Amino acid sequence: MANDSQPTLLREFAPQIERTNLLQLIWIFFLLAVIAVGFYALYTQIAEGHIVTGMRDNVVWGIYIVNFIFFMGISYAGALISGTLHLFRAEWRKPIIRIAEFMTIIALLIGPCYILLCIGRLDRLYYLVIHGRIQSPITWDVIAISTDIFGCLIFLYLAVLRDIAAIRDFQSIRIPNWKRTLYRIVALGYTGTPEQQERLHKATDIMAAMVISIAVIVYSVLAWIFSVTLQPGWHSTIFGPYFVIAAVFSGCGVMIVVMWLFRKIYRLEKYITRKHFVNVGVLMLVLAALFGYFTFSDYLTKWYGSEKNDELLINLLFDKYYWLFILSNYIGVLMPMLVVGLPKLRTITNITISAIVVILALWVNRYLIVVPTLESPYLPIQDSRPAWIFYNATWVEWSLTATGIAIFALLMTVGSKFIPIINVSEMEDKPVPEEELLT
Amino acid sequence: MKTASGRNPKKSSRREFIKKSLLTGAGVVATGGLAEAYLDTSASGSGEKVKVLTTGGEIREVDKAHLHYPRVSIKESKKGIPRRKFVMVIDLARCKNARACVQACQRGHYLPNGQEFMKVYLLQDTENTAPYWFPKPCYHCDNPLCVSVCPVGATYKRSDGIVLIDNERCIGCKFCITGCPYSTRVFAWRHYEEFDEDSQPYSPEASSPGVEGTVSKCDFCPDLIRVGKLPYCVSACPMGVIYFGDIDEDVVTNGSETFQFSQLIRDRAGYRYLEVLGTRPSVYYLPPVERQFPVDRGLDDLDEEVKARYKNTPHLKKHNL
Amino acid sequence: MKNKRVKFTSWMICILLVSSVTLCGQEDQENVSSSEPAETRISFNALYTSNDTVVLTATVFRQKERDVIWLQNARISFSAGDGKSNGIALGKVSSDSMGNAVLTVPLNFPLPSNEEGMIQYTASFDGNQNYLPVAESFQSKPARLEVSFYEEDSVKYIRVTGTQFSRKEDIEPLSGETVNLFVPSLFRPLPIGEISLGEDGTGNMEFPMSLIGDSSGNITVIARIDEHDKFGFVKGQAQIGWAIPKHLLAQDKPSRELWTPVAPIWMIITLLIMLAGVWAHYIYAIIQLIKIKTSSKKETLPEKDWSNYS
Repeated sequence: MANDSQPTLLREFAPQIERTNLLQLIWIFFLLAVIAVGFYALYTQIAEGHIVTGMRDNVVWGIYIVNFIFFMGISYAGALISGTLHLFRAEWRKPIIRIAEFMTIIALLIGPCYILLCIGRLDRLYYLVIHGRIQSPITWDVIAISTDIFGCLIFLYLAVLRDIAAIRDFQSIRIPNWKRTLYRIVALGYTGTPEQQERLHKATDIMAAMVISIAVIVYSVLAWIFSVTLQPGWHSTIFGPYFVIAAVFSGCGVMIVVMWLFRKIYRLEKYITRKHFVNVGVLMLVLAALFGYFTFSDYLTKWYGSEKNDELLINLLFDKYYWLFILSNYIGVLMPMLVVGLPKLRTITNITISAIVVILALWVNRYLIVVPTLESPYLPIQDSRPAWIFYNATWVEWSLTATGIAIFALLMTVGSKFIPIINVSEMEDKPVPEEELLT
Repeated sequence: MKTASGRNPKKSSRREFIKKSLLTGAGVVATGGLAEAYLDTSASGSGEKVKVLTTGGEIREVDKAHLHYPRVSIKESKKGIPRRKFVMVIDLARCKNARACVQACQRGHYLPNGQEFMKVYLLQDTENTAPYWFPKPCYHCDNPLCVSVCPVGATYKRSDGIVLIDNERCIGCKFCITGCPYSTRVFAWRHYEEFDEDSQPYSPEASSPGVEGTVSKCDFCPDLIRVGKLPYCVSACPMGVIYFGDIDEDVVTNGSETFQFSQLIRDRAGYRYLEVLGTRPSVYYLPPVERQFPVDRGLDDLDEEVKARYKNTPHLKKHNL
Repeated sequence: MKNKRVKFTSWMICILLVSSVTLCGQEDQENVSSSEPAETRISFNALYTSNDTVVLTATVFRQKERDVIWLQNARISFSAGDGKSNGIALGKVSSDSMGNAVLTVPLNFPLPSNEEGMIQYTASFDGNQNYLPVAESFQSKPARLEVSFYEEDSVKYIRVTGTQFSRKEDIEPLSGETVNLFVPSLFRPLPIGEISLGEDGTGNMEFPMSLIGDSSGNITVIARIDEHDKFGFVKGQAQIGWAIPKHLLAQDKPSRELWTPVAPIWMIITLLIMLAGVWAHYIYAIIQLIKIKTSSKKETLPEKDWSNYS
């Protein structure tokens, strides 16, 4: 259904798709350079074995797994946010929902790659499928992630279909022919008839609901990988919900940062306003409170009961990892709450800065979940090698972490060149009357 | 037997290893073959030697540690030795960290320096209790968490209670390493020269040759059990610390002393380590009562590198040893 | 990179090898080129069994500093006699890889023993160009241990009867000797007790009721005299069904636990239900998409021309 403003909006956003200016090119090349270094690191790891990482016989999972949890967290957060916002049909979500959808699928493609980096025999990866054991949490995770990828792809496709059709129909957009053909094929012949709209609407609603529930289940499965083992620090009943909350929290942070970047680069100040930052910021505030609550609850229980190995772990956290712990669990919680909570501090810049802090804090939080537990096992680390007692990530691991972030940024950039970063079709839709919300 | 030094006899360099194997191999060819087909002619590793009179009338000297034992296929290794369930008893009252068990296990499984299946800890349960030496092999638990979490079924528990790893199935995800609360499993972080020892086909019962990127651990030596021999650590211990046997038969032996398992546990108050975790281990410990040696005897004659592995223990820190 | 280094090293070694192959063969070889044949030793014992045979075991070895090196394929000759005249040759056996040569000889009367009933056994190795010949002898008197079982006042007993043989079928009881009792087990025999034989050469002890036998409860009890000055090694055994039947672990059907190859049923069902639920929704969404595509083929609306809206 078209109305008068459609060509104008699309015309306004058309340059994003048509042109790539110099700044953007430099940005893309910078990202490619980081990725290239990452490929060299990957080659080093494959050629010389995992000995080039900092992982050893006690700390067998290092920052690869931390990155895996982090990226999957962002992905599920994107799914939850876009799914929920879609179902609530809130007006203010329209300019930013595409960012959430992108975040979902891109992080979902990067996350599992970190697991692959951690696997000793990549040539036997398919054993996970043909020899999979149902009792293993990793098999649950394999099933869950593949189901989730499929679901998110369908959801993203449903969400972008109308925009693709709009671009296909927009004659005066200046794009090469191959792109035009691509749009035509992908648009599936959508022409906006009432019947098609109805179908699309129903399918999107169903998938939005599915994506929310899958995100919760899948991330809980990931949490259970840790909590079903006996390792002190991991064997916590709270891990399922804790991870989900932390995931959405980190997703809000990433979303705010991405919103800010796209707003600056594509000059979208008119569409992504302070209101959007505040709304997502409020979500971040609520989640910060919840995250702080869960973290406090977890550590209070461990500390108060002072079971021997819990005590060892907490001593390690407050001894060797003191500042990281403060950053992750105090600053990461209080800063967004203060910035968004106090009206004086509630500016776009402040909210973005606190979002960056939140991202760092949550990455550190995942690190503090994975590594210190492995450094304080039931049997003290003896008759081993002194160098293996503590974990020190090597350049290979850091480089591949940077590569993951670079690929995320690159795919976001490239994606925005194919599909407008603001959901044009939805912006055009008439607002849904109050009575019809959630029907 | 170079025991208490804790030196790994495989300290001979890579060249030495290859040189010796090539030389002895060439010598064999020159003299027309060995009388016994299953004798390994790669050298390195000290210990008793066996004289072999070849058909050509020549005498060859072969390291007894490298006598080959028959190996079963991977499929066969999933079935346990019938009508047996193995148990180990470790007498903490006698252990003085001679490390002969560690040495023998390293030799028998062709383990590189960097992987150890048997580890000896210096445990001190509380501040006021005495420290003691604590040898720890794999416990082959009856509720093995490592087996439960393996996504591809590379590790499995057999009917005779032994938990083995199939290194041709293992994908190296290391979930089992985090699953084991006793820190028993080790990972091959890179390729070692010892992994090239392929004079016999790979068998999970022998856990050799090792494979890069996979997990391995103590295997209770089923290939030795099948020919009626006790595991390497049991035979090697000079103090007779480690007993091994069939719990259904209720007999354990350390090679020279044989007891009824139930009687030994009853009389000496045997227990399992961290029983509360619910893993139901197959290794029992006899408490360090009436110790035969002072604990510090275990630090004498240790290699500097081995001694450094204990520097974080409360006992060494307290006494500045 | 490490492969290259190994390759280079092996080639260097091969070159060295070719030029000094005889010397190389010597690296681990003993004294082939030296003129002196090496000294060898034999350790030798005789075991009398309850079916009237004697098992002669000779181990030929060489003591090299602190190492013991067994000789394989060494030809050992056994003989027995009364110590004064030449003995009867009993046979020749080649030693195995552990240096052991074993010969089992039935005890036929009259025995080649002296007046005290002692037989002198000799094991000898003729040697070859590398090894000196060596022989070992000792004397022992044939004896026999018999194990039997009886029950008295509903208490079960093991009885051991010991006899010793002189030259001509003179049988005397083995009085005053101490006999050790064992039951066999997987690796080593389990000692279960000690019996002192009385004047009549018999002794008994209570049968330990905690012993575990085979699946029917049968167990073998072994009586042994070890390293006796006069009798050497004597062994006798018998079987009885008094032991606790061995519990067999193997189960007919595989159990379903967390760590078994087959998963618990509830896990499989839960997983299937969840997957079915999720994928049903996916299929619904895909069907909608397909219908969008097919419907667009049916109704072709005129393409909108936006050129009027510039």
